[in-house]
Amino acid sequence: MEPLFIAASPTSPEIDFRFDQHTLSIKGESYPENAAAFYGPVIARLQAWLEGCRDAGITVNVSLAYFNSSSTKMLFTFFEALNNAAMAGNQVRLNWYHDEDDDTILEFGQELQDDFGALDFQDHAVSY
Amino acid sequence: MKTVDDADLFALESAALANARAAHDDPRADARAALAEMIVHYERLMRESRRLIRRSDRAELDMNQMNRQLHELAQQLEYRATHDPLSGALNRAAVIDQASACLQRSDVALIVLDIDHFKWINDDFGHPAGDAVIKTVVNCLHALLGPEVAVGRVGGEEFSVIWPTADVEEAREAAARICNAIADQVFEAPIDRQITASVGLSWNAKGTTFEQAYSHADEALYAAKRAGRNCVKVYSQLPLPQLPTQSPQPAPAGASTLCH
Repeated sequence: MEPLFIAASPTSPEIDFRFDQHTLSIKGESYPENAAAFYGPVIARLQAWLEGCRDAGITVNVSLAYFNSSSTKMLFTFFEALNNAAMAGNQVRLNWYHDEDDDTILEFGQELQDDFGALDFQDHAVSY
Repeated sequence: MKTVDDADLFALESAALANARAAHDDPRADARAALAEMIVHYERLMRESRRLIRRSDRAELDMNQMNRQLHELAQQLEYRATHDPLSGALNRAAVIDQASACLQRSDVALIVLDIDHFKWINDDFGHPAGDAVIKTVVNCLHALLGPEVAVGRVGGEEFSVIWPTADVEEAREAAARICNAIADQVFEAPIDRQITASVGLSWNAKGTTFEQAYSHADEALYAAKRAGRNCVKVYSQLPLPQLPTQSPQPAPAGASTLCH
């Protein structure tokens, strides 16, 4: 499948989905005017690709310095799609990057771990 | 195909709700299956809402703490930008701002004072002692005039007091009290001598510029220095400078108030 790349904007993160390498990365800050409009097509592409994945090893890198509430709602859908793929037999590793001083994003990652137990969650504290 | 404007954060929930309604309206529908589907969505929605609210609460707490810090820092910056770090008196810029604002509102007396022979104090006792004298003078002015009166340090050993009043005599008395209070002030060791200040006063009608008010007060201050220091001179009572051809006139009675 063709890779999906969306450059970062001041209010939306960089989307870098290299489906052929099984590597999906989201990086930046996320408070787009319309989170559903931004993430809707991204999640649709992800779901279409995941449907074809069998026993695949998938690496997901999420490095969001800030995301607003509507982005969070869309991210739940994103992680749920990945969790379903993991429950279907794929190995999904989620690398969760956060600023070492940002407890809010750290704790949110820990909660994701609780809610999406099929993901191999790896926390990475980053110092800037 | 949905357009961008149709994009809905609650697309999943809306679809589930539509299914539940359709099942509810249809007497032959599989009610248990519809309910099971609804339960899945309801549980997911509860879980997501709980996470969102917890995250919002944390973010709100962080934001409130940062806001408090920001407010404190802004106050510190405001203080530092307007005060002399050594004495805590208003700095020159703040004196200009406050005096200018006062002059627009009302008549203002501007009192400027300069510690006499301050260089000797530094030379004889060292700069730390000189700094202590500066602090003591400012404390003395605050104690004498109260916290409402603006006291500023406009130069090394020069201070100013902004005194809004329509009454020149009242301002002159305030200046005399300042002069006396400094002459009476006992300074801490190693200072072992009397310290005095020369005081200049200009009385300015509402609307006078700060530059004019200050230059007149400064002129009076130097008249006080020339008159032997440790005294008050009032600008309006100085000999008129535009009469240079006349023989030097003695200042009118009361123009110079010798302090202790």
